[in-house]
Amino acid sequence: MRGLLIDAAKAYRLHPKVAVRPEPFGALAYHYGNRRLNFLRAPELVALVHDLGNHPNLDAALAASGIETRRWPAFRKALDALLASDFLEEVPA
Amino acid sequence: MLAAMDDTTRIQTADADFDESYDSFTDDELLVEEISIDGMCGVY
Repeated sequence: MRGLLIDAAKAYRLHPKVAVRPEPFGALAYHYGNRRLNFLRAPELVALVHDLGNHPNLDAALAASGIETRRWPAFRKALDALLASDFLEEVPA
Repeated sequence: MLAAMDDTTRIQTADADFDESYDSFTDDELLVEEISIDGMCGVY
């Protein structure tokens, strides 16, 4: 099993080619570049993804999100999956 | 005829079965699911 690609000390944002459509379960996210489709299965994740680029790093975004810290590993894993699919991009320093 | 289980016994059994370490919010919580749409072109 690979380690996480995402770095909690870096800043990320939603890729500009990704469209997010809210759904009752969270959202559908579609990447117009690589044509991949992801279900975001928690409204908190949708809000976090939209807010990521407003924070200096991933952990700051999590701290601002109000998500319980015991759930942070799951959210980091989810963001890692989105990064691996190019749904997120690193914000240049 | 079996004697009916009294309320005390039922409650004690339920407590014994409850795993306080269970936490649905673990890093196994599936928050992102990629859906394959390959080959969906032309599907009506």
